[in-house]
Amino acid sequence: MASDLAVSIKEVSKRYPGPTKRHPPVVAVDGLSLEMRAGEVFGFIGPNGAGKSTTIKMMVGLLAPDSGTASVGGHDVLAQREEAHRYLGYLPQQVRFQEWRTVDHALTTFGRLSGVPRGELPGRIAEVLRLLGIEDTRERRAVDLSGGTLQKVGMAQALLHRPSLLVLDEPMAGLDPQSRFAFKRIIKDLGRAGTSVFFSSHILSDVQDVADRFGIINRARLLWSGTYEDLKAHFRVTADYDVVLSKENVRWRELEALTGVKGIERLAEGRLLAHIDASQDVDAVAHALLAGLLERGCRVRSFTPASPDLEELYVRYVSTAGDGGGAR
Amino acid sequence: MSLGLLFADELRGFYRSKVMLFMWVGLPAIAVLMSVWYTSTAEMPLTVITGLLVSTISGTLAAVMLVASIVSEREKRVYDLFLVRPVLRREILVSKFMAVYVCVSIAVAIALGLGLAIDFATSDVPLSAIVGPLRTSLVTCFATLAVTSAAGVLIGVGAPSIIAGVVLVIYGANQIGGVIAVVGALYLKSDPLTALLGAVLTAVLMLCAIVVFDRKQL
Repeated sequence: MASDLAVSIKEVSKRYPGPTKRHPPVVAVDGLSLEMRAGEVFGFIGPNGAGKSTTIKMMVGLLAPDSGTASVGGHDVLAQREEAHRYLGYLPQQVRFQEWRTVDHALTTFGRLSGVPRGELPGRIAEVLRLLGIEDTRERRAVDLSGGTLQKVGMAQALLHRPSLLVLDEPMAGLDPQSRFAFKRIIKDLGRAGTSVFFSSHILSDVQDVADRFGIINRARLLWSGTYEDLKAHFRVTADYDVVLSKENVRWRELEALTGVKGIERLAEGRLLAHIDASQDVDAVAHALLAGLLERGCRVRSFTPASPDLEELYVRYVSTAGDGGGAR
Repeated sequence: MSLGLLFADELRGFYRSKVMLFMWVGLPAIAVLMSVWYTSTAEMPLTVITGLLVSTISGTLAAVMLVASIVSEREKRVYDLFLVRPVLRREILVSKFMAVYVCVSIAVAIALGLGLAIDFATSDVPLSAIVGPLRTSLVTCFATLAVTSAAGVLIGVGAPSIIAGVVLVIYGANQIGGVIAVVGALYLKSDPLTALLGAVLTAVLMLCAIVVFDRKQL
C-alpha cells in the first residue's frame, strides 16, 4: 500500500515502571502525534531523556505503545510488521553486533533477513561500505572496531536493502567532524534521491543543515513540528539585522524611533542588532535604517540580515513552552 | 525463511566458540578416561556410564552457553537489529536453542560412539547386551539435553545477569533436566515415553521463554 506519509504516529504514549514499586511509573512519551511526508528529511530534537529514543523505538516496532498507533509507509508497525519492516531501515543509538561476527558476516545476515537476493548481496555490501568509506573493515570482527566505525557499519546495515524510510537514532553522536560531514552528506543525498529520513539528534546545527522539517520534543510531549522558517516566523525574528560599525556614533539611538524599528541592541563596541517589525516592509525599513546610520556619522562596515540559528530558537521555544507555550 | 537463516547463523556462531571446542574434545575425552578405570559389565556397560555423565555435563554446559549468550546479547541490545526486520522474537530463541542443541548433540554422539567402540573393543560384554541400554542412554541423554537447554533459554530471557543465570542453571535447569533421568528410569521405564516427556517439558519451557521474551519487549 503506497502512502504519502512515511511516518504517522497517532497519540502514542509509553510509560516505564518506576525503579521500585513505591515509585510512580515514568512517562516516557505522552500522547505524541506526528506526521512525516514521504521523501522528507525530518529532524527530531530534544534534550536527553525527552522521549526521542522511546518514540523512535515505537515507530520501528521495537516497543509496543501503551496507547496510540504508529505506522510507516501506511503499514501499522505492529499489525503489519513484515511490510513495515521491509519499508524501513533503522540505525540504533548504540550499534552492537554479536562478538563472533565479522562486518561481512553481519551485513550478509542482515541483508538476507531484509530480503536482499543472495546473488546481489556481496556487490551491495561493497557498495554500501564504499559509500561510508569503510571498505577495509569488511573482513574485520565488528567488536574490534572503534565506536565511530561501528556506527558506520550500523548505517551500512540500515542502508543495505534500500529502504524507503531510514530511521536514525542519534546517528552523528560520537562521530569525528569528518565522519559527521560524511553522514550529513549521505543523509542529504538520500533525501534528494527520494528516501525519507527521520533522525534524532541534539546537535542542532546538524539538524539545521540537513532537515527539511523538524520536531521538538520535551518532557515526553511534542512541542513543535514544522520548518525552520516556521519557527522563525513564530518568534517574528525574520527581520533582525546585524550591523558592524568601524566608527560608532551614539546618535544611532535616534533610529530606535524610526517607523518599523522595534528596537536596537548594542551587542558590543561597534556591534548592533536591529530588530525590525516583520509585519512592515522590511526592505524599506532596512534601507531607511542604513541611510539613517550613515547620515548620523556612523561608518558601516557590514549590514546583514541576522537569523538566529536553530539552537537559539530551540532554547527560546523550549523555555517558553515550559511557561505554557504548548504543543503545536 | 528467517528461522532457517537464523539457525544457520547461530550454528556458525556456536560451533566455533571456545565452549563448543571444549565439548568437541572434552566429552569424547570423558569416554576415554572412563575406560581407564571402569570395567564394563553386562548390567552397566561403559557406554551407559558415559551417557549418564555426558548428559549431565553437556546439559549444564549447553544451558550455561545459552544463558551467557542470551543475557549478554539482550543487555547489548543486539536483537534490535534483528527485530526491525521481518524476524519474529520467537525465531531468535528457537534458532538459538536449535543451534546449541545440534552442536552439543553431535559432541554427545561422538562421546557415546567412542564409549561404544571402546566397549566393543575391550570388554567381553556382548553387543546385544549393550544395544538396549545404549538406546535408553541415548534417549535419556538427548531428552535431558533438550530440557536443560530449553531451561537455559528461559533463564537467559529472565535472568538479570550472567552470574545470576549461571546460578539458576546449576540450581534449577540441572534439576529439571534430572527429572527426565529419574522419572524415565523409575516410573516410565519406556524409551518412547521418556522421549515424549522430554519433548513436552522442552516445549513448555520454550513456550514460557517466548512469552516472557515477548512481554518484556527485550
